[in-house]
Amino acid sequence: MAILELQHIKKYFATQKAVDDISLTVEKGSIFGLLGPNGAGKTTLIRMITGIFYPDAGNILFEGRKFDPSNDVERIGYMPEERGLYKKMKIGEQTLYLAQLKGLKRAEALQRIRTWFTRFEMESWWTKKVQDLSKGMSQKLQFVTTVLHNPSLIILDEPFSGLDPVNSNLIKEEIFNLARQGATIIFSTHRMEQVEEICDHIVLVNKGKKILDGTVKKVKQDFKENLFSIGTDQITEATVAHAPFDLISRDEHRLVVRIREGQTANQVLQYLLQQGTTIHSFNEILPSLNDIFIKLVEGTSVSRQFLSQEAVEQKN
Amino acid sequence: MHKIWLIIKREYLTRVRKRTFIIATLLLPIFYMAMIFGTGYLADTTRHNLKVAFADSSGFFTDTLLNRENVADHSSTLTLLGKNSTINVSNFDSAGYQAYVFIPAIKWDGQESTQVFLQTKKAIGEISTQVVAAKINRIWDEVKNEKLGIDISKRMILTGNRIELSSQNVNDAKSDARTASGLAMACAFLIYFIILLYGNQVMTGVMEEKTSRIAEIIVSSVKPFQMMLGKIIGIGMVALTQFLLWIAFIFLLYNITKASGNMNSASNLVGSVQKIFTSVDFPLVLFFFGFYFLGGFFFYSSIYGAIGSAINEDVREAQSLAFPVTMLVIFSILLMTPVVNDPSSPLAVWASIIPFSSPIIMMARIPFGIPGTVPWWQLALSMGMLILGFMFTTWFASKIYRTGILMYGKKASWKEMIRWAFRKS
Repeated sequence: MAILELQHIKKYFATQKAVDDISLTVEKGSIFGLLGPNGAGKTTLIRMITGIFYPDAGNILFEGRKFDPSNDVERIGYMPEERGLYKKMKIGEQTLYLAQLKGLKRAEALQRIRTWFTRFEMESWWTKKVQDLSKGMSQKLQFVTTVLHNPSLIILDEPFSGLDPVNSNLIKEEIFNLARQGATIIFSTHRMEQVEEICDHIVLVNKGKKILDGTVKKVKQDFKENLFSIGTDQITEATVAHAPFDLISRDEHRLVVRIREGQTANQVLQYLLQQGTTIHSFNEILPSLNDIFIKLVEGTSVSRQFLSQEAVEQKN
Repeated sequence: MHKIWLIIKREYLTRVRKRTFIIATLLLPIFYMAMIFGTGYLADTTRHNLKVAFADSSGFFTDTLLNRENVADHSSTLTLLGKNSTINVSNFDSAGYQAYVFIPAIKWDGQESTQVFLQTKKAIGEISTQVVAAKINRIWDEVKNEKLGIDISKRMILTGNRIELSSQNVNDAKSDARTASGLAMACAFLIYFIILLYGNQVMTGVMEEKTSRIAEIIVSSVKPFQMMLGKIIGIGMVALTQFLLWIAFIFLLYNITKASGNMNSASNLVGSVQKIFTSVDFPLVLFFFGFYFLGGFFFYSSIYGAIGSAINEDVREAQSLAFPVTMLVIFSILLMTPVVNDPSSPLAVWASIIPFSSPIIMMARIPFGIPGTVPWWQLALSMGMLILGFMFTTWFASKIYRTGILMYGKKASWKEMIRWAFRKS
């Protein structure tokens, strides 16, 4: 069953088509990856799902019914990319306030805050102020405020940025936990290795349009290039020259090859065995989401800007 | 509704519990009192005991007369110099006197004034001169009365029996122009301060939410309109609290000073405040003060909120964008003086009906009396216009706010803000 369905959503701003006819379906209990370079329209799309913006055209169905922001927002938890908390307000009070704004009763909110604070070892923070927390600590707090009201749909925009590996894992575990308990998670990022690890289903948007939609497995299959890695010690030039594959690269112990059209992996193995080659390993190489991503958005001006930013991030 | 209430509560409590609020609430009246006491005290000490060497050639001024007046008025001591005294205009200071007066040989039955001088080596204040002049003339009057055979009852007929003239509005017999204009100015100034001070608080509060990026989280829970309204009402309640605390403070101080029997300048002031309460239809004025206070605050603070949403961290940007709005408030207070001088003039009538200036100007007219100075139709029109006015500014501001609060980067111009307001939603 779909928890969220977008039908031909459009949102135009004065200078650009931020979201231009996007349709997508998010299954209940899944972890859904919303990918795209900066400026692709992800944030605008999310803001329509959280009821902050109204679409210019199209329908949003939430749990099968027409999305009604004033009631349904209490079932949604949203953590924006730009984190925000009142810097000078005490953490306990602030968490309580945000939970009550999401419709929780005071007593219930207090009890849940205690549970979460204990789980994240934040009990001593109650009377501290946000301005006294480190970036990673306030990130954890932000996550708690997002999920405190047990939302059925959780939208996380770059939830791991600024977190060290320990806290990253902590949050990742909680994301899996929440999904197991039946929550649906929309996960917006441009860090592809996290998407491969966490998401079931992905959608890639670029320049306001959806350019890819499918499960992680299926997308990888769709974009595979019949590349195989062959582990071997000795292989002669002659063997390679007459083989039913093209050599892509080789080093001392490994060949990367592309099997020719019409040939199968079995035929390749048979050929090599007939030649008397010792084979240690034989693996299919599936493209990484990163490669697919770059391939799809490459060449557009937005993607170049995005890639250069990515490069900067990697350097750091 | 429940969520607006939560927002109001947060805005109110975080401000009221702040140290700056407590300090401002306590210190302002203390500072005000210190100012009154301080100036009173300084004036007292400087006037105190001006020692005047008094040389008399006429022979009418006696030690007895001088001493009686010295006892009645401490601010100066006149010492009669004997016939053979060596003290004169050139050496009175070395003998310990601060001033020297020489009375020539005047006649008691002359019909023209005589010019004498209070001669000093250092400049002294005009008030000190007047006090000494009054003292000398009281003695001189006594001398003349005695010579003319005017006893105390005849003197009362001459000085006590006068015709007092003051203005009275036949439509509103209670109204007293002097008390009314005092109250009018106080009301108008209070509303002026509240609009500027707390309007600015709304603006900086919105800026803070925008720069700390909490705004996006809040608007994913409540409508931007609720968020803005909650903030404005919360801050309005803070202003009301502060105002009520000050009123309570004044009454407390009044009662303490009255109980201690110490009728000094402070309790005189408080007493005149209480006189206002009794001579004017106070509940009525208080009701309209409440109305125009809230109306004016809503009218302007929603615009200030919209401005806060359209800018980023730079306070100077905020000031330059808020300048036209602040000018409207300042313009209203400039109109106050002519309005108080003539509360029924066409200027006063129209300025008290147009919502930009009506909160300040109408409160400068109401103490003069309803319906004597302010007819009911004007009051109804003004209140109706103000309600329509703040409904419009709140609507207008919420449209700007909704767009501005999530817009980062360059600050918006007024032209852009107006475009946001009139864009289809």
